[in-house]
Amino acid sequence: MSVMSIPLPRSARALRLEFKRNAVPYVLPLLAAVFYFDTLRTADGFPPVWTPRASVIPNHMLIEFSAFAGGLAAWAGSREGRRKTADLVAATPRAAWARLGATLAGTLCWLLLAFLAGVAVLYIQTALQATWGGPPLWPVFVGAAGVTVVTVIGFTCGVFFPGRFTAPLVAIGVLVPFQVGFREALSVTASSGTYALLSPSGSPPPVDAGVYYHVAPDLSILQVTFMGGIAVALFGVLGLVPGLRELSSAGGLRSLRTVFTRGEGWLSHAVAVLLVACGVAASFTAFALAGTARPDAIGGWQIPALHSAASDQPVPVTQDCTSSPGFQVCVHPAFSFYLDDVAAALDPVAAEIAGLPGAPAGAREVASMSGGQNVWSGISGNPPVFDFTAEHVGTAYGMFNGIPATMYIDSGVVPDAAAWREGFQQGLLDSFLIGASQHAGSVPLDAAQQAVEDALLTAAGSQPQDPFSQMSVNGKPSPGTSAAVSAAARRFAALPASARHAWLATHLTALRGGTITLAQIP
Amino acid sequence: MNVVLTGIHRSFGKNKAVDGVSMELGPGVFGVLGPNGAGKTSLLRILATALPPSSGEIRLLDRDPRRPAARREIRRRLGYLPQNLGYYPSFTVVEFIEYFALLKEMPSSAVPKAVAVAVERVDLGAKAKAKLRTLSGGMLRRVGIAQAIVNDPELLLLDEPTAGLDPEQRVQFRALLRSLGATATVIVSTHLVEDVGAACSEVALMSGGKVVFRGTPDDLTARGAGHSVGDAPLERGYGAVLSAARS
Repeated sequence: MSVMSIPLPRSARALRLEFKRNAVPYVLPLLAAVFYFDTLRTADGFPPVWTPRASVIPNHMLIEFSAFAGGLAAWAGSREGRRKTADLVAATPRAAWARLGATLAGTLCWLLLAFLAGVAVLYIQTALQATWGGPPLWPVFVGAAGVTVVTVIGFTCGVFFPGRFTAPLVAIGVLVPFQVGFREALSVTASSGTYALLSPSGSPPPVDAGVYYHVAPDLSILQVTFMGGIAVALFGVLGLVPGLRELSSAGGLRSLRTVFTRGEGWLSHAVAVLLVACGVAASFTAFALAGTARPDAIGGWQIPALHSAASDQPVPVTQDCTSSPGFQVCVHPAFSFYLDDVAAALDPVAAEIAGLPGAPAGAREVASMSGGQNVWSGISGNPPVFDFTAEHVGTAYGMFNGIPATMYIDSGVVPDAAAWREGFQQGLLDSFLIGASQHAGSVPLDAAQQAVEDALLTAAGSQPQDPFSQMSVNGKPSPGTSAAVSAAARRFAALPASARHAWLATHLTALRGGTITLAQIP
Repeated sequence: MNVVLTGIHRSFGKNKAVDGVSMELGPGVFGVLGPNGAGKTSLLRILATALPPSSGEIRLLDRDPRRPAARREIRRRLGYLPQNLGYYPSFTVVEFIEYFALLKEMPSSAVPKAVAVAVERVDLGAKAKAKLRTLSGGMLRRVGIAQAIVNDPELLLLDEPTAGLDPEQRVQFRALLRSLGATATVIVSTHLVEDVGAACSEVALMSGGKVVFRGTPDDLTARGAGHSVGDAPLERGYGAVLSAARS
């Protein structure tokens, strides 16, 4: 007998039939369209870094798939009731569990295949753009667990409440309360504790998540355990279907003993009850562990019982740097796609202030979270170096150069390269003129500092933002002084570079101390 | 004996669907006649192990269906066509019959051949790959018969099997019943007395959940002597017995 002529086992043949005649393929084009318009386009709004891109799997893709998965599974689960084959199948020896399991498996196979195909498209697109790292697997596991649990929930609803309206009701029911409502209602607040972390969807991570530090899998393990527990428990409930049906037809709880001797035997019921117990225990354990979650030092969450200290260590990496002998700019290899743009933006302003006290000799990208605090741009070290973060580059100034910035449009920031460059240059000059080592963004410039900054930006070939816009950014100049600031900036910019440099060398300390007035600016 | 029923009762609320039925049946074709609501379908559902009796003793194929292992063994050797056949429209004829062959736990290697034989026996070879949604009512009935006989059952329960069949198909079906009845116990519930006369070796007539007559079709015909209601002798016998039971 050749391999090809070996007959398939019964379960495989039944699964093949269920797979072949499943309703999911009919909905795949619609699912693909939703995937493209939401998941893929949202992912395009992130820089080509693996962790932020992968965050759309639980935050967008899972929600879309859940509605379809719940409805389609309910449709499959309600088949025997809708098609009135309950008597016919009840007279066959195949256990209801095996029979329903094959139908569920056929539906789940299609949904997981579709889900994994979507993940593959997302990851292939990211792989073609990313310059460092590899595809994170935990978001895929969480997404697959989410699709699975929603499928089992929908299927169970279909089995117990068969009807033509069950599928749409489950689809809506899954979409609204389970996803949106669950996430919103349990958002992490003082009153809700940390139980909302069980919801796979949440806010997007920082753009450099998973770059400087590993993303601890604690939360993902928790979510997979929670959802897996629910799925296992409901699968156990499916094993009790014949017994529960006979219970209702046999006339109530007095017939419970009869039911357990009928149905599919005590062993089947015992296994089903055991599965329900194990599933509930797993979910309850995950729920309890969620209450112990605490923020970690790099912007994520850790579960003490699951946490590995190894994941707190920085990822060893050699930064990509410009090769110019003067002002050197270094970025993480994951962000090397904007190295040249950052260098091109910073070089002119760095040249304007080169050699002055506290002027940075170079610029380097650092992690956006450290020690549990947000890191802002600033100048530090000896020799001084301008530190900036990917979050600073991409979010504070409106765009990742060359990357569609759809996610920033809502914030009102116009995502064009010139605005981004000027904002970035301004960040360096803010730090230089304030003289503080960190948190430049939180200290507003005074009028004289603002005028000097505008003049240096003009000298570097950039167009300073209009005074009212600057006021909204830097805060300090009053409407009455904005014209005076502009006039002083024009005067100072009109000086020869050497004169500006000499004046700054002389008056920089006073300028930083806030004792220079607009009138004193030459 | 393949079927032994002793004092079977089945109630739905206050309604006694089956009321103290006792019978023993061996191989052969056994007809169950009766008006609507007589309890025929409930009796067949009990025999199909789809519905547990409220009380009474039942043995099928020398096994006690209350025991899970025995019940599973009975179901492997059982064929059942319910009165209202549910079906899955997206399945083809072959797939639907294969599906039930698998549910009946036939050896996987035997399934394709058994399905092909069943399809041929109900004369649906030309429609083997047609989706069920495209078939007429009579064809669907034949699909139902095919799934019932695919496992070559030792106990075959057919509830209104000829509903929707045209006269030629009914003749063929009666021949099929007779051949199946040579080795198996075939119980046919029907309200068409001509089916009973043509195919059954023995007949029971139910009324109000009780068996009010049991005998051969000739015995039933004999009861109709002098009774005026009915076009055929068997119908007159049927009418006479029912009238007597109701009075």
